[in-house]
Amino acid sequence: MTANKGDDMLVKEIQSGNTMAFEAMVLKYQPKLMSSLVGYTKSHDQAEELCQKTFLRVWQKIDSFRGDSALFTWIYRIGINLAKNDFASSYAKSSKLTHPLDQDEHDVPQNYSPESILIAEESEEKIMNFINNLDIDTRTAFTLREVEGKTYDEIAEMLRCPIGTVRSRIFRARQLILEYMDQENILNG
Amino acid sequence: MDKDLETLSALYDGELDEREARINLEKISLDEKLKNTFHKLGVISELVQRNTTQKASKIRFLSDHYKKIHPVMTNIVTAAATVMITLIALYQFDDDRFQVDKESTLQLSTALSSEEAKIQLFNADQNIMEHMISIMQSNSSQKVSKNWIPVGFEVNPNNPNQFSNGRNNLFFHLENKQLGIKKVKYFKAKNNWIYLIPLQDGRLLTAYGDVPPSVADPMIQSIYQRK
Repeated sequence: MTANKGDDMLVKEIQSGNTMAFEAMVLKYQPKLMSSLVGYTKSHDQAEELCQKTFLRVWQKIDSFRGDSALFTWIYRIGINLAKNDFASSYAKSSKLTHPLDQDEHDVPQNYSPESILIAEESEEKIMNFINNLDIDTRTAFTLREVEGKTYDEIAEMLRCPIGTVRSRIFRARQLILEYMDQENILNG
Repeated sequence: MDKDLETLSALYDGELDEREARINLEKISLDEKLKNTFHKLGVISELVQRNTTQKASKIRFLSDHYKKIHPVMTNIVTAAATVMITLIALYQFDDDRFQVDKESTLQLSTALSSEEAKIQLFNADQNIMEHMISIMQSNSSQKVSKNWIPVGFEVNPNNPNQFSNGRNNLFFHLENKQLGIKKVKYFKAKNNWIYLIPLQDGRLLTAYGDVPPSVADPMIQSIYQRK
């Protein structure tokens, strides 16, 4: 997993108690974490519960994040460890559910239900086809950012174009994808 | 809205300065529509990264699988996998054939100006992956003509396909068919170079190792001069 320059700022803000930054981090990584946890647990409900727990734990432990790994890698490890603990705990105490959460801790934003996080397979295919048909300049900048995790500076150097051009190409790609998702009524419900 | 989205996109990528970032984090927290859009950017990232990872993992599987069958080929397998993964990240391959869209390749080569990227992309022929696989599957030791060995290189007594000048290592593999490769092609992955050399007798010689074109070029010239 590539390091994400953007997370330095988010982490710094969260560590200083900025709940808006925490919310942005949840919005950013919830889809990825849900996808990983659904893959791991094979249960949407369990993944949803673990996702909530994970972000609570992230909020509690963010001061211990030193940036030795990418932020998502750290979040992912927390999530998977919680999932393992859940399995162990439900095995040992089959009559009881998992430990109750510390409800007095910070609440994880609830606006986005997991049902709306994961896209149906056929819609995924449509979106990927749409991305593959973006014009080459837009697609290249977008792919270098999303897949390779390159910074705008690095992409500008690779493509030998101004950083503003990179920023607008990546924005353009996202704008077109979002418009396409709207048009196809994907994630609008 | 365009301006908002452009700023949001840059915030998502961590490309805003601290002051701008704080202002926009606050804007998101107060605006459901922006919040929803920011979340969708996360959904798109997840989707794109997962789809790319799935395709790349197929190549890694091939790489791991053939490494077990043919440990000597570790370098070339890794090199081929690296090249293919890079290409897969940029293009959608037909899963079965690993074909490259040549037109896009050319366009992208123009767009990507680094020499390495150009070399990788210009030389990604549709048959390369099949060829790599056939090399990996082959366990046989081939008889290499002395004429092919570059000046200064000597055979490794423990591996008749490996040649070294003390600094660089070169491996040869000979195939009885040319897989549609009509002229010399080469590509680079990390420190390894792979040269595909169609011979006049209809066979295909693959030379690979940490041998740069400056060393390989005279070797290739001499292969064509000496019949």
